[in-house]
Amino acid sequence: MDGVLGSETKNHIVMDGTVNNVHGERDGLLVGSGAKLEKIIIDTDPGIDDSMAILMAFQSLELEVLGITTIFGNVSTEDATRNALLLCEIAGCPDVPVAEGSPEPLKGGIPRVADFIHGSDGLGNTFLSPPKAKQVDKSASEFLVDKVSEYPGEVSILALGPLTNLALAIKRDSSFARNVKRIVVLGGAFFALGNVNPAAEANIYGDPEAADVVFTSGANIVVVGINITTQVKFTDGDLLELRKSKGKYSQILSDMCKFYRDWHVKSDGIYGIFLHDPVSFVALVRPDLFTYKKGVVRVETQGICVGHTLMDQGLKRWNTSNPWSGYSPVEIAWTVNVDEVLNYIRQLLMKP
Amino acid sequence: MAAEPKKIIIDTDPGIDDAMAIFLALRSPEVELIGLTTIYGNVYTTLATRNALHLLEVAGRTDIPVAEGSHVTITKGTKLRIADFVHGADGLGNQNFDPPKTKPIEQSAAAFLVKQAKLHPGKVTVVALGPLTNIALAIELDPEFCKNIRQIVLLGGAFSVNGNVNPAAEANIFGDPEAADIVFTCGADVLAVGINVTHQVVLTAAGRDKLMQSNGRFAQYLCKILEVYFSYHREAYSTGGVYLHDPTAFLAAVNPSLFTYTEGAVRVQTTGITRGLTLLDNTQKKFGEVTEWTDKPTVKVAVTVDAPTIVKLLMERLMQS
Repeated sequence: MDGVLGSETKNHIVMDGTVNNVHGERDGLLVGSGAKLEKIIIDTDPGIDDSMAILMAFQSLELEVLGITTIFGNVSTEDATRNALLLCEIAGCPDVPVAEGSPEPLKGGIPRVADFIHGSDGLGNTFLSPPKAKQVDKSASEFLVDKVSEYPGEVSILALGPLTNLALAIKRDSSFARNVKRIVVLGGAFFALGNVNPAAEANIYGDPEAADVVFTSGANIVVVGINITTQVKFTDGDLLELRKSKGKYSQILSDMCKFYRDWHVKSDGIYGIFLHDPVSFVALVRPDLFTYKKGVVRVETQGICVGHTLMDQGLKRWNTSNPWSGYSPVEIAWTVNVDEVLNYIRQLLMKP
Repeated sequence: MAAEPKKIIIDTDPGIDDAMAIFLALRSPEVELIGLTTIYGNVYTTLATRNALHLLEVAGRTDIPVAEGSHVTITKGTKLRIADFVHGADGLGNQNFDPPKTKPIEQSAAAFLVKQAKLHPGKVTVVALGPLTNIALAIELDPEFCKNIRQIVLLGGAFSVNGNVNPAAEANIFGDPEAADIVFTCGADVLAVGINVTHQVVLTAAGRDKLMQSNGRFAQYLCKILEVYFSYHREAYSTGGVYLHDPTAFLAAVNPSLFTYTEGAVRVQTTGITRGLTLLDNTQKKFGEVTEWTDKPTVKVAVTVDAPTIVKLLMERLMQS
C-alpha cells in the first residue's frame, strides 16, 4: 500500500483522495472523488488513430501513463518510436518514457507496414520536425515486465498494434500474465471480415504467433475487434466539427486525419474515418459502454487464413479435445454503445 | 402444365438426417431422383452404400441407381472422422437392419456424376450432403462437368459461426477440406447451406410425436432411427430437438425461395488449427492487396431460412407416405 500511496501523491492526488486537476479545471468525464489514478502503458504503432488514442490518454486525468512502448504496424518500429516521442512532446509530457519494441514479428522477417493508410511518416504525411527526447535504454518487453512487476495487479496495457512486445514480455517473465491488471487489445475480426484480407485483421496479421501467445497466456484480456470498431465512425461532418473546435490537439489531429480519411473513401467507400484505436481506448476507461462474451480465442498461424482469430463461443460440448480445449477464456467485446462511445471520444478530443 | 421435374442426384453418407432427405426427395413431386452417390462421413463409404441401397429398398425404389464413391479423401487421406456417435454405429440409429439385396452400379460416384451431367447438360442438380470428395473427383475427371451441371447444392460450412467438429470447422468440410476448396472455386453454380442456417431448422420432440402418430411409412421408419439422433443433440447442445441439416439443404435445391442468400468467393482453410474453416468474402470491402479470394468465382451462401415452412413441408411429405 505504501507504494500505491506514494505514487498517488506524486501524481497530483490531494489528500482527500479527489483528483486534483493538473490542467486547472474540473471535467465531467472524470471519475468521481476517491478514484485512484489508473496506471496504463500504451503499446502502439502511431499511426493516425493511435495518435488520437494517445492524446486522449494524455487528456484523461484519471490515468497515469507509465510509458509508451512501440511496435511496427502502421509504420516501422523505428518510426513508431519517433512518433511516440513526438506525441509525448506535443502533449507536454516529454518525460513519459518511450521504450522501443521489436523491429520484427516473432518468426522474423520484414514486417508489412501500412504506409498507404497512415502516410509515409505514419502521421498522415504531416512531416513534423523530429523529437528532441530519446527513447529509454530498455526494450519494450523489458519495460513492460519491469513496470508490471513493480506494480503487480495495477498496470493496464492498451495494445494498439501487433502483439510482439506483449508476447515477448510473457515469454520473458512467467509472472507477467498473472500480474498485469488487464490487457485491452485492438485486434481481430470475430465472425466478421478482416481488413487485410477476408480472413485477417491487420494487427493480428502483423504477428499471428504473438497474438496466439497473448490470447492463450491466461492474462485478463479484453479484445476489441474490427467487428466493433468499424461501427464507430467520424463522418466528414464530425471531422469538420473537430477542426473547428477548441480541442487542445484538434488542429494537429485534423491535419493528420486528411490522409486517413481519403484512404477510407477509396477502401471502404466511407466519407469519414473508423476510430479503431480511440474505441479501444474507451474500452479501457469506460468498459461499461460495451458488452462482452467470454471464450477461448486461438489465432491461425498457417495457410490462407493466417491471422484469423477464432473464438469458441461455448455453444457446444465437444466430444473430443481440440486446439481450443484447456485454455483460459478471454473477453471479446460483443456490442458497443455507439452513441455514448462517440460522445466520449468527441468530448475528450474537443477538450481544450 | 406442371414444370418438368428437376433431375437430382443426392451425394450422401446416410446418416439419419440423410435418410430423411432421401425419403423427402422420393415424396417431392418437383423432383426426379436419378441416383444416389455415396461417400464417407457419418459412416464409412462401404456402409454408406449399404445404407443407401437399404433406404431405396424400404421405399420400394430399387430402380434408382446407387454409385459408390471414394473411400479416401482427394489427397488419399484415410484417417477419416466417422460420426458414429451422432448417427449410431450402423449410421441408422443402431437398428441393425438386414443387409440390402441390391447392389451398387459398376460406375464410381464421380464417373456417374460426370456421365449424368453430360447426358442432361444444364439439367442435373447435385445435392451434396457429405464431404465433397466425389464432386471434386468429378471436376477433376471432366473439365466440362462444372458447365454441364445445373447446380451443386451443398450442405457444408459454418459461415460466421462456430463449426460443429471443433470451433473452426463444420463436419462435411472438415471431412475433406481440399475437395471442398476445389468445389467452391470450380466456377459451377454452387449454393452452400451451412450450419449457420441449418441450426435454425429444428424438429422438436413434439414434431417427432406427430410423425409417430401418423400412418406414413417413412414417418414410422424415421421415428425408429431418430432416437440416437435426439440423444446426441441433448448431450452436445442441451436441446430437446434435432437439427434438420440434410432435409434443409435438399429443399434449398427444390425451393430456393425459402432462403435468402449472399454471394461471394468462398475459400477453405486446409492447414493449421482452423483446417476446414469456410471463409466467405462477401465483396463488401476492397482490399489494398491481392488476396487468396481475389478473382475466384463467386458462389451463393444461404443467409436466412423460412424454418417453419421447411419443417411443415418435411412433416407433410413424410406423413403422406
